[in-house]
Formats: sequence, structure tokens, C-alpha cells
Amino acid sequence: MTFGARFIRRLSSIFYLALVLAGGGALAVLALFFIAVRELPRVPEPLSRIIETPPTEIFAATGERVMVIGGREAIPLSRVSPHFIQAVMATEDHRFWEHHGVDKLRTLKALWVTLFTPGEVQGASTITQQLAKNLFFSYQRTYMRKFRELLVALQIEAQYDKGAIVEAYVNQIPFGVGAHGIEQAAQSFFGKSAAALTLAEASLLAGLPKSPTRYNPYLHFDRAKNRQRVVLARMVAVGAISAREAQDAAGQALHLQPRGAGTCTGSYFLDVVLKELEERYGPEVVYHGGLKVMTTLDPQLQSWAVESVQNGLIKLDALLGVAGSEGERLDSVDTRPQVALVAVETNCGAVKAMVGGRAYSETEYNRAVQNNRLPGSGFKPFLYYAVFEKLAVSPATVAVDQKIKIPVVGAADWQPKNFEGTYDGPMILKRALMESVNSVAAQLVERVGPDAVIEVARRCGIKSPLTPVYSVALGTSGVSPLEMASAFATFATGGIRHEPFFIRRVEDPLGRILEEHIVGGKRALDAGVAYQLVDMMQGVVNTGTGAIVRRMGFDLPAAGKTGTSDDYHDAWFTGFTPNLCASVWVGYDRGVGMRDTADRGIGGARGAAPIWAEFMIHATDGEPPREFTIPSDIRFENVDAVTGRAAGQWSPQAVRVALREGQQLKGEGETF
Amino acid sequence: MISTVFILELRFDWIERAVGAYLVTTNAVRPESGAIWEQGKQTVAARQTLEQIVADRQAIQREARGATTFNQIAANVTPGQGVMLSADHFRNLYLNLPPEAGREIISAYELLRLASQGHWRRSYFEKAGDGLMVYLLDAGNRVLRQLKITSDVLLNLERQQLAPVETLEGLAYFENRIYTAAHFFEALEAFPEEVRRNMLPNPESLLQVPGDIVRVGISDEAVSGFIELGFEIVDGSRRKVILIKGHEWAVWRLRTYLEGKKRNAEAPADPAKKWTSP
Repeated sequence: MTFGARFIRRLSSIFYLALVLAGGGALAVLALFFIAVRELPRVPEPLSRIIETPPTEIFAATGERVMVIGGREAIPLSRVSPHFIQAVMATEDHRFWEHHGVDKLRTLKALWVTLFTPGEVQGASTITQQLAKNLFFSYQRTYMRKFRELLVALQIEAQYDKGAIVEAYVNQIPFGVGAHGIEQAAQSFFGKSAAALTLAEASLLAGLPKSPTRYNPYLHFDRAKNRQRVVLARMVAVGAISAREAQDAAGQALHLQPRGAGTCTGSYFLDVVLKELEERYGPEVVYHGGLKVMTTLDPQLQSWAVESVQNGLIKLDALLGVAGSEGERLDSVDTRPQVALVAVETNCGAVKAMVGGRAYSETEYNRAVQNNRLPGSGFKPFLYYAVFEKLAVSPATVAVDQKIKIPVVGAADWQPKNFEGTYDGPMILKRALMESVNSVAAQLVERVGPDAVIEVARRCGIKSPLTPVYSVALGTSGVSPLEMASAFATFATGGIRHEPFFIRRVEDPLGRILEEHIVGGKRALDAGVAYQLVDMMQGVVNTGTGAIVRRMGFDLPAAGKTGTSDDYHDAWFTGFTPNLCASVWVGYDRGVGMRDTADRGIGGARGAAPIWAEFMIHATDGEPPREFTIPSDIRFENVDAVTGRAAGQWSPQAVRVALREGQQLKGEGETF
Repeated sequence: MISTVFILELRFDWIERAVGAYLVTTNAVRPESGAIWEQGKQTVAARQTLEQIVADRQAIQREARGATTFNQIAANVTPGQGVMLSADHFRNLYLNLPPEAGREIISAYELLRLASQGHWRRSYFEKAGDGLMVYLLDAGNRVLRQLKITSDVLLNLERQQLAPVETLEGLAYFENRIYTAAHFFEALEAFPEEVRRNMLPNPESLLQVPGDIVRVGISDEAVSGFIELGFEIVDGSRRKVILIKGHEWAVWRLRTYLEGKKRNAEAPADPAKKWTSP
């Protein structure tokens, strides 16, 4: 056999072998195809059905929509900035308009790189494949999953036009920070609609889907910026923009929304609302049912609450010597004090504003409702109420501020000390509360008993566990700011207790009412005794331990009480006008005392009352002065703050006290 | 040939088109699986749950809107699922009550005061034990007045509402205490006016009923200090029973008197001297 014949014979053998192999391969692919098809998911018709989930919407009391859960802000392509569409096309799939679901050249190139370049894996998914993956498949990396994804992409291409595919794609891409779809992303990152995105903004956003966490501009701005440059370069490469335009866009400053601002300012409040809704309807209905929820949130008050808290914290940080730059702050949450503020409408219990911490984006732990911190002297009003109700004493009754030792059965004697460490001798009870004298409070609780104090607190709505020991009167059992605000509101209303509430009405997607809140009050306290407490707490604000409120310029009729726990772990101020009651707590999460740089403790008056005052100044701006309602059985007497005897109006120690019918001033020298 | 096939595929994507077209034909029989379908299923389940909640609520609300008595409302409301009705509806329910029963719920004067203030818009009814709690609400759902309709009151109302279709024999609690109208009114006459007012507090309501009173029954049960009297009235061929409540102490005396008369066939010579007002 000649060489030529041998060569032809060998060549034909190779040819037949190749043919057999190709046939075998084709059969294998065909078998694989039918195996894959068996469990291939059905593609929805029309494709827009993927964005049909109705969102659950939460509204403020003003009607303003404050939160959307679930659902997608699906928008037509005409409402998406062309810059964004060009950027996405250039970066993710520049041959999108030409292929039929798979970019073969890019796939072959990626295969080559993956197989022959050690340590490098290159992807080649088209936009249609990404859409198929996002809609139907997990992120598990298997060849079968990849093959099925490819098949679904081919079907989508065969079933829908390119416009519908792009529209579906841009409405469901994950951008991170909880934003799905370009509209949510534009709102979250830049506070504007998708239609208004500039080239610089659009190119930044177009770079995020590759890895939303890695390129999160809030956490890794430089990486996000580099990625933006890559996107702009791709746009230049495909001819979408000129090099000059890319250069200009890369040089433009990007004004990101403050972190978390895109979601909403009342996130702590909304967390409580969501929890309540989940308990009533179940998570499925809340997140997929399209509820319309009308809440009690007052956005204006909420923003003032946030502002007051932030301003207060800046001052507090400076006092404590923990102030730093914004960058430092993000990494040092635990080294700075936390805060909580709750504002309640007194005559119905509606929670109008709530701040549960320094920043929701840093910590979602809601200190306004979840934190049970010691209220210190903030608990004394419940003690004084119990005393006035059960014992024959009045605000003009004289007690002696002195060192005391109270025997406790089965334990060491209780020896509470005054905060300042000094003792002022005889004084009327009104002054004792105004100056928050512990020794007098201790004598009172010894007489009336801790159970009576707890009973009053319960009537006012305190639900946290309270230990029946003498010291409970000095606030040694933990309570939440929401409980304190709601309980003090009971004094403001003359003894009518309203359960605090967050949700006014819930409707289904068609507007049919599922529930409405009924604003019912229940008499919890005697109106006369409650007023005596209000009068005494007005004294706290006017000239007592809470006088900083007046010094800061809050001049409407108001009452309140400071509170500080041992070693300055907690600083409180809870106060109210006839309409609004607010409670403010500040302290460290990890139970460290608050001391300023001069080692002076920071209590309720320095830590919490300034925040309260600033908030109330804003919250009541423009309101006319409104006095607390005086019950008919109340009369006023001017008494000497030391002796409790009647005093002339101009007497230097005269204090006006509110007395109930039948309560007389005692003679000189008579003490409690 | 292979090269030709390969080049044609690169140029015209015929494999992709063919596979895509084939998959479109099998789409309808494939499973609804994957993330988007799971989400859809959750949406469907949520909608069904909501529909059920709304349907239940609307059914209760519909029944309540058609109610003409407090008892019908009480039969509909369940714990945790009350009903909201208009202020007018409450007024109509109230006006359907016998005056003395209405007074037990709320004084007509107070209701007038509430209505005249112009704030009262709606009424919310919810279950409270075996009775009803009614909240009279303003436009902002603030409670203007809270009323409790106890199970005793509802029971009495039920009797009064059932009574018109019954004869006195149909009401077991009148058994052995049924007297002719003549005997009853003769005995009533034997007491001073102020005692009679306590025995039969609202005789005018009987005068308004057409027909003749033929028999009177006295209940053997006292509820909240009152004993029921049943007046059987014949109006042409129809009979009905009107129920009125008298004060327990007064009705008890009347009954003792009637029983005594039955036994002795004698009345006291001067009952006014024997029966004195409290």
C-alpha cells in the first residue's frame, strides 16, 4: 500500500471516528437535554407577572407612605434613565440585541480562559441567562443548574421580545442594601427616581449587581468608584459614550443618600409595627399580602426626635470624651452611649415618634421597647401617688431629709443615700420630689410598702417585672422608655390610662378594613391625686432637678421627672404637656457608668433632659400654652417649703402646693 | 459538513431558536418551581388568608347590619371579632327596646346628650364574657361612652323578643303563676299608687298595645332586682305576650297577695294599711 493510500485510509478512519464521537456527543447532549427538560420550571406568562406581588404599604398618621415591603417598584423602560440601560448592556451583555439567549463567542472565550488559565474563572452569562437564574434558580453552582438556566434563557428569548426581557431584568436586579430593581436602587442610593439618574450615578449602579456586597458604596466607596470606571470604560468600548463623557462622569462627585435614609427615618417604629402585624396576621400575609397599614407615626415629630437625639448625642459624646469623626464612629458603636426616645399622645395613647438607638443602620436593637433599664428616681411619682392615696399625707406634709437605715427582714439594712451625699433636714414632700431626695422617698416606701408602689405602676401601664422590695420605689427594677412615656401620660390625663398603640387601621389590598383601633381610656388613678403629682412634677421642671428644660427655653406648661440609676448607668427624663408625653433614656449598652471628662457623673438632668427639651421645643412649636386640667376638689395653698406652714406669696421659701378636699396644712413641727 | 453546520449555527443561531421554540411548546406542562413561583405561591396563600379574614369579617358585619336586636348582634360577634355599626343603627336598636330595658343599658337622656353633641358617629360591639361591650365612638374612633350589656340583660331581652309569638304557657318561668287579668288588676288596685308604680313601672306601654289583656303571668325568677310580668293579649284572632319588669320587692308582694287571695278567696280589709311603700 502506497503512502498516499495509507494516509487517506488513516484520514478516513480519523474522520469516521470523529463522526462517531460527534454523534455520540450529540446523543449525550440530547439525553442531557431531555433529562434537564423534565424538571425545567415553567416560565410565567406574561413575564411581567414576576413583579405582580402587591407591596405591603405602611403609612404615617399624615397619610404619607413611609415604608413598602415586598412587591417591586416595577417601572416601564421609558421611566429608566437611558444611561443606566446603556451601562448595563455595555457591562453585562453588549451583544444582547444580537444573540438568542446565549453569547456563543463569549462563552467559548470564557471556557478557554477557565480551562487553560490556572486560577481564573470567567463568566459569560447573558442578561437573559441572569434573568433566568434570578427568577428560578438557586445560587448553587452545578453544571446541571447552569444547563437548565441556559435552556430557560433560550425559551425566554423565543417567547418574549427583547424589550420585555430588559424591562424584567432591570426591575429585579439585586443592588444590595435591600434594593431590588432599578427604581428602589435609585431611591435608596441617590434619593431620586430611576428616570433622573445621571451618567455618573447610572454607571455606579450598573456596576453593583456583579457583587452588591463587594461594591457596596457605603462600605467600600473606593471599590465602587473603581467599578464605576470599569463600567464607563465598557460604555466607551461599545460606543455608547465618548471618552470625554466617561472622563466627566468619573470625575463627578456622587452624593449618596445618608446610610439608611433611603429606607425611612422611623425604622425602629416600623419594626414594632411589623412585629405586631406578624403576630396578628402571620409573616406570609405581611410580606406577600399587600396590606395597607395606617400607623400613628407623625413624620414631623419623628424627624425632630431623630434630630434632637443626634444633637443630644453629639453633646453627650463631647462630655464623655468619646466624640470622634464620622468614620471612627461607624466602627466604634459599642464605645459610645446609646439613646431611646418615645413620644406618646397623652389623650389616646398613640405613639407619635420613636427612636430606639443611635442609628438604625448601626444597630437595630430597639432600646425604646426592648431595653429594660433602671429608671432610678424616675419611678418616684408612682411612690408619691401611692403615699397620697393610701396615707393621710399631702404635698405639704413635712418629712426629714436625713441619713436613714431601714431594717429588711432576712437581709442587710437598707441605707439609701442622696445623690449629692448631703441632707437638708425638714422639707415638704413637694420639695422632696422636686429635688429628688432619696432619703425621704425611702421613708415613704417604708410606710406605704413596695407592693403599693408596684400596684400604682401597674395601674399606669408598667408591665415589666417589678421586684417587691423597698428599693423598687427608687427605680431598681428595669422598665422601657415606652412604658415610662405611657405611664406618665396617665398623670397628664388626670388618671385616665390609654394603652399605647402604633397601628390605627389595617386594610387589605382592595381597601377593605381588617381592623381599626378603638381609642378607649380607663380610669386608673384618682383625678385629684394625679393632679397633685402633676403639680409636683411641674415643680421639678420649673425649679427642681429638671429645670434645665426651662433654661433651654421650653416655656409651655409641663411636668416631668429626672431619673438616674446607680453609678450613672442610666439617665432618664420623662415629661409631658397636657397633649404630649415623651420619655428619653441615655446610657451605655454594656452597663458602664457615664462620667464626663472631669469624672462627674452624668444623670438625667444632664444626659436625657436636654434631648427631651429640644424635642419638645420643636414638637410643640406654635402651640398655645395650655394648662393641665385642675379637678374641682383641688385648691392651692402657699406653704413654707421647710415647715409646711402657710406662707405669704412673697415669702422666700413659699411653695404653692395642690391640696385635695379635706387635706389641711399641719401645724409647725409636725412631720411625716 | 460539520464546519458548515457550525458556521450556520454561528450565523443564524438555529439551535437556540429550535430549542427555545420547543421549550415554549412544553411550557404549560412543566412544574411551577423556582424562586419566582415560590414567591407567587406565598402571594396566593397570603391572598387566600386575607380573603378568608375579610369574608369572615364581612359576614359578621353583614349579619350585624341586618340585626334589629342586641341579641342578634350578640349571637354574631365572637371573641376578638367585633362589629362596627353606625350611630343611627344603635339608636334604632335602642328604640326597639322596651323603655325599661333601654334604661338598663343607657339612659335616653344621656343618649340624647351624646347625639346632640354631634361627635357620635359609630358604635363598636364586642364580646365581653357572655354579654356585649358597646363603644360609642367619634369620627376618630375615640370612645365617647362605653356600655356593658350583661348576659342577664341579653337574656331578658331575648325573652321579651320571643314572647310575642308565645302564650304564657309557652314560657316555662310563668308556670303555676298565671292569673286572669281581672284577678291581677283587682289585686293591683288593692295597693297604693307608689307601690303599683314599682309593680308595673310603665303601664302606658300596655295601653299602647291593641287588644285585650286576658291573662297575666309572674315569673319565678328575679334578675338584677326585677321580676318579669307577662301580659297575654288577644287582638282578634291573634294572641301575644308583652313582657314588663317590675321591682322584685313589689312584685313579690303582689304575688303573695294573689296567692293569698287564691287560697283564701279573701282580700285584706284595708290593704293600703297593710302594704306600705318602702
